Amino acid sequence: MMPLSRRQCLSSLALGLVSCDRVMTQVYRNALGEGLPEQVPLPPAGGEVDPDFHLLSRATFGPWPGELWRLKRLGQEAWLEEQLHPDRLTDTACDWRAERFESLYFSAGDAYEWRKPVLRDEITRHTLLRAIYSRRQLFEVMVEFWTDHLNIDLEKGDCIYLKPSDDRDVIRKHALGNFYDLIRASAKSPAMLVYLDGKSNKVRQGTPDVPNENYARELMELHTLGVHGGYTQRDVQEAARCLSGWTFDRNRFWALNAGESYFRPDWHDAGEKQVLGQRIAAGGGARDLDRLVDIVCGHPSTAKFIAQKLCRRLVCPEPPQALVDRVAAEFTRTRGEIRPMLRVLFRSPEFAATRGQLFKRPLKFMVSALRALRAETLAEMTVVEPLQRMGQGLFQHPTPEGYPDDELPWMGTLLWRWNFALELAANRVKGVHVNLAELRRDLHIKPESWFATLIGRAPTAAETAALQIPAEPSHVGLILASPAFQRC
Amino acid sequence: MTRRTLISHLALAAVPVWGARPRDDHHTLIHVFLRGGADTLNLLVPVADDRYYRLRPSLAIPARQAIRVSEHYALHPAMQALEAAFKNGRLGAVQSVGVDNTTGSHFDCQDQMEHGDSMQGAAAGGGWLGRFLRQQPSGSALAAVAMGKVMPESLRGAPAVSVMERMEDITLREAGDVAQAKKALEKLYGAEVTPLGQGGRSTLELFQRMASLQGRGDGPEHGAHYPEDAFGSGLREIARLIKARLGLRVACLDLGGWDTHFFQGEATGLQAERIKLLAEGLAALQLDLHDHHAHYTVMVTTEFGRRVYENTSLGTDHGRGFALLALGSHVRGGRVLGSWPLTLQDEVNLNRPGPGGLTVETDCRRVFAEVLRGCFPGQVDLAQVFPAADLTPVGLMSAGA
Repeated sequence: MMPLSRRQCLSSLALGLVSCDRVMTQVYRNALGEGLPEQVPLPPAGGEVDPDFHLLSRATFGPWPGELWRLKRLGQEAWLEEQLHPDRLTDTACDWRAERFESLYFSAGDAYEWRKPVLRDEITRHTLLRAIYSRRQLFEVMVEFWTDHLNIDLEKGDCIYLKPSDDRDVIRKHALGNFYDLIRASAKSPAMLVYLDGKSNKVRQGTPDVPNENYARELMELHTLGVHGGYTQRDVQEAARCLSGWTFDRNRFWALNAGESYFRPDWHDAGEKQVLGQRIAAGGGARDLDRLVDIVCGHPSTAKFIAQKLCRRLVCPEPPQALVDRVAAEFTRTRGEIRPMLRVLFRSPEFAATRGQLFKRPLKFMVSALRALRAETLAEMTVVEPLQRMGQGLFQHPTPEGYPDDELPWMGTLLWRWNFALELAANRVKGVHVNLAELRRDLHIKPESWFATLIGRAPTAAETAALQIPAEPSHVGLILASPAFQRC
Repeated sequence: MTRRTLISHLALAAVPVWGARPRDDHHTLIHVFLRGGADTLNLLVPVADDRYYRLRPSLAIPARQAIRVSEHYALHPAMQALEAAFKNGRLGAVQSVGVDNTTGSHFDCQDQMEHGDSMQGAAAGGGWLGRFLRQQPSGSALAAVAMGKVMPESLRGAPAVSVMERMEDITLREAGDVAQAKKALEKLYGAEVTPLGQGGRSTLELFQRMASLQGRGDGPEHGAHYPEDAFGSGLREIARLIKARLGLRVACLDLGGWDTHFFQGEATGLQAERIKLLAEGLAALQLDLHDHHAHYTVMVTTEFGRRVYENTSLGTDHGRGFALLALGSHVRGGRVLGSWPLTLQDEVNLNRPGPGGLTVETDCRRVFAEVLRGCFPGQVDLAQVFPAADLTPVGLMSAGA
């Protein structure tokens, strides 16, 4: 990408002052890496999805116009490395859109000064805008993955005040980092302490206190080992004892870190514990949490469980065992490093063999449609609401397992996908701007090439026949509503 | 799906008008799922058992505040709206129902219950309501609805499930030629021999059904007033569908917020709010459907009950058995079936997710089978819905209803 000149910076600043976001992003699209190359090759023509289109469909929220040809120029290896090191990618165009939400910069305890509707609106729109516009797409894909894995429902307790800092300091901080660090950060996250009741898990000396097992159970069942990972009820109870004393209280007016979680020794069960066959000596105090995280993350079931889940999300619903085993081995070899697992996964022949086999969940469907049509939006209510109808309101899954990957639970809401597709292509979604004619000109494609451009392969005879509709918005809308675009 | 069934599907989708076909045998099972593991010990209060009061010093419902319904039991005060239904025999309960799953996991237990499976033996495939619906001859596109946004596991495998929030939702927003767009979607989804194709075809069928209904003035009758939230509006829409006689057999609706590990409350508080919502919603439904009283049954379940003693956060943790409720003309209500298998043993082993609570006495599949038998007599092959399960009658539904 081309560096910004001083003049460009100054003029963008001036434009920013009169808050012409749209004009600004339009003007600098090229400079910021969202533009199209001068010469765009023809869209894919084979009967199978183009292999590079395939990689883009899985490692991103769907191809942005022009990105396919960028990938082809760089090659899959170089493109993937770039995505695995998001800091190397300038993301200014996305930042301009997504960094407008002040409530996301506060610590957990300080976010209480915001009203709930504002908090809900800001974190949701931030997530959507990052997914649509960030050039660090694999990073955003992993943010979605871990957000489901360590699900927190904004509507439970005070979570709405605490999730913004969890999103920033737990999920985004470690999305491509190390799994052990991620789990440790999550265990201490105020949002998680509230969501799964760890906050009130206390065992005071000389009282009949019984630990609150909720978090300890989900830590093993959903976050690490998996439900059949070989732990017992006893392990859950012992883990709850290890974690007792970790809490959050924003009203500690005397504390400098009132916005953070902290450890209360007087609420901690100081005795010896035994988790998954490993002994944790008495008197460990706050260090019990680290020991516990190491034990559960290091258990062989965890490597398998995480590998399986990654493959299900990124490869296919029933991933081949050989691939899962290799990804799991990479987890074990690197002690939970996330990047090497993704490398193994995306480079595998198993991955290459699953073109078009993955069902898009509503967020992916919606974002891939917006990206494919180079839509200009600030993701206001008119975008958030249809996503909720499709069944995937962000940060709203009530129970800790997160939104499902399976296809069937989403079958009852196809209608909302169709309606969004048709209205989007017709430029009738308020607050979203789409210009098909302009995009077609920039892509140098003919009206009959929309299918190949959006799906990554030539249409079948049946698809061609079904989509014989002269009106361009209807034609494009129906491609987005078609079964082919519900998969990737 | 075979080629033949695919073709018959396409033929069905092509039938232009679907009039409302009144049917004499129509009955709707309304399945309410209390997500999170409801503490039914505080809903159906064992006022006669001192152990309950001893182990719940803060959370027990005082006998004088509860609505006494038998020697042993009283209803939570927030159940007031359903007091009459219980006393006149339309509302009944079975105590200590559950699954044989011992993980104590919400998801495992919900899945097992909704699939109608057991830890023993192979999974039957799909959800229990899905299996039941597959046996039904009518190919009504509205045989099953789930109110809300997500299809519950219990309906998995059903030939067609519509997930919706309001009847009016069902329309295609194409600015151009709507008929042309529908035709294109018919061709595209008709050619798909996959669950996605099935989902698309069901959606298209639904358009046709709804077109015949929309625009009717059919607000709640008899002054019924539904709670103003998703649960209340879900019940209201289910009532509209029942009145319209569209061949609705099963309607699923969730009510969440029962995972009360923390500050559960007693006669008032967090759980009381939920109970009130449940009771007032069902009472409104009953009033609204007064003229259709013989044509529906409500069954209220949850994945597991909670332990009898309270924890230090003034909440309760996951237990096993719970009380299942049923409401309707075919219910032999006014009583609580089942015994009172309360255990206080502190022994921790794999058969109990920790100490203290109701053990499971009645496999939930026995009760589900009973409800299906009562709602759809002679129309269901229970051995197929719940293979290898003990389906001895429980006595909750009137025989040959």
